[in-house]
Amino acid sequence: MTAMLTAYVLVWPVLVLGILITIARGFAKDVKEARKEGRQVI
Amino acid sequence: MPPAPTGEIHQLGIIGVILLLLLFYGGTMWMSVAISRKKENADDYMTAGNHIGFGVSAASMTATWIWASSMYASVTAGYTYGVSGPIHYGLWGALMILFIYPFGKRIRKVAPKAHTLAEVMYARHGRSSQLMLAGSNVLGSVISLTSNFIAGGAIIAMLSPLSFGSGIVIIAGGVLLYTLWSGFRASVLTDFAQVIAMLGAAVVIIPAVFFVVGGPQMFADGVAAGHVTPQQESFFSSEAFMNQGAPYIAAVLAYAIGNQTIAQRLFAVREDLIKPTFITATVGYGATVIGIGMIGVMALYLGIEPAGGDVNNLLPQMVGTYLPVALVALAFIMIIGSLSSTADSDLSALSSIVMTDIYGQSVGRKNVNPKFMLLIGRITMIVATAAALFFATARFNILDLLVFVGALWGCLVFPVIASFYWKKVTNKAFTVSVIVALAVFLPVRFTLIPLTGAWAFFVEALAILGVGVVLGIMAFGFFGLRPALIIGAVATIAVLPFGFGYLRDYETLTGSLVAYSVSFLVCYLMSVKSSQNFDFSVIKRITGDFDEEDAPAVEDTAAGENPPRGDVPAAPGH
Repeated sequence: MTAMLTAYVLVWPVLVLGILITIARGFAKDVKEARKEGRQVI
Repeated sequence: MPPAPTGEIHQLGIIGVILLLLLFYGGTMWMSVAISRKKENADDYMTAGNHIGFGVSAASMTATWIWASSMYASVTAGYTYGVSGPIHYGLWGALMILFIYPFGKRIRKVAPKAHTLAEVMYARHGRSSQLMLAGSNVLGSVISLTSNFIAGGAIIAMLSPLSFGSGIVIIAGGVLLYTLWSGFRASVLTDFAQVIAMLGAAVVIIPAVFFVVGGPQMFADGVAAGHVTPQQESFFSSEAFMNQGAPYIAAVLAYAIGNQTIAQRLFAVREDLIKPTFITATVGYGATVIGIGMIGVMALYLGIEPAGGDVNNLLPQMVGTYLPVALVALAFIMIIGSLSSTADSDLSALSSIVMTDIYGQSVGRKNVNPKFMLLIGRITMIVATAAALFFATARFNILDLLVFVGALWGCLVFPVIASFYWKKVTNKAFTVSVIVALAVFLPVRFTLIPLTGAWAFFVEALAILGVGVVLGIMAFGFFGLRPALIIGAVATIAVLPFGFGYLRDYETLTGSLVAYSVSFLVCYLMSVKSSQNFDFSVIKRITGDFDEEDAPAVEDTAAGENPPRGDVPAAPGH
């Protein structure tokens, strides 16, 4: 039970890290495309 | 074993807090200035031109949906209900984003260039439906703004010698400054920096607290010390489900439909990116909020007593008690980021509603002056900030107000969604169904009439039907009408055996379910025999850009099907 609760607590920051990387990569792509097209990212 | 808490909370000090706030609001201000234009476009001020990319939109959706209250509430759920508590808060909150996505696709299809959902309701039904939705949006955004200011004032007061009053003024001033000039564009871009700060802090703080307080051993010690009940140890706690989870499931669609901040991002993101944006935000919100809720679970196992008896103090208390100052500063930025990203979204939402639904529709699209429209948007932001500051200092009961608005949105869900699919729904059916649903909800939620005898039987029958309506609507978005009818009917029948005599004890849940069922019944019965056969293409022609000076010449009008602005046909019921 202790091992399961430990995994239960620590799985969330791992998922958050995955989303953080996804969003950062998506943003970098948006900036790159905007520069290529000569416009602002937003 | 965890280090024994001294009872002292590591404070950041006046200079520390001011430096962090200068860094945070200075950074967001710099981003806002970098994208500002001397002459802003009124439509971009509200929707950023309807074509923002995945990275920006996913960051913005995630940042907006995570607000300071959600972090506090998840920690409270973990502390109160144990291991399943954060799931019953964060999972359903995350699903709010997911379940709105199929409806979002439909809404963008019929109104690709709209600014607000209320504007679409004007095109679909007319003024009364529009104003009902716009009014509930305004109320919700002002309450959300107030709540975020209160959260900001409270965290500053707890972690520094500055007062609550000084805290709310600093937060309000900081958010207003960077949002005022460029509106939604500034809100969305700064959301990226804020989400990076928030998510980055969550990645570090959750495991840091876990290991500092003792790691896995904390669970065994907590059970041995009798800090947790069997219900709190269970992943399938019925107490957590009935008191926390179930009312949230009922509210899943209500918050997503009634919240203009979500609708605004729906209209802003590039249409082909709606799905990945909503899915990323769903996982991002869920993981962050549930993860932060684990700090409440840890507090429970450790047998921590909340400072001043207020569970809202648990998050800063745990961080301030156990972590070093550098990580306290990180947590401070996480909370300031969460409340600022939602507050700037609320300001943008409020300005869009006033610009579009009050000014735009009252003078008529042909007569809109984009420059004056922008001025109205900026004045709205200033007035909304002042109003929220007043409410924050007056210490209104935010939770009560949120419950009221949540129920109001629950009354709107079926009529709004049906209006996008069913040609027969009339303006009268929309308006009457919302008013009747609200009239039945109020005495149930606040037990103005005691839930006994025939009245209790009647209310429970409505609530049981409400279960079917909620699940039916959710299923409809993903699977279509037939599966939705089957799922709705099966759910209603399944709840029948135990709903009577049971639901009356859960007035929050029952009140929300009643709001759904009554609005469904009235809207359905008033529409089913109507002769209206609404042409959905009318919506696309009525909604659209106000400020065409910088707009592409013939975007979306390539086929020449859109009449010139001002010559659009009137919406039915006008």
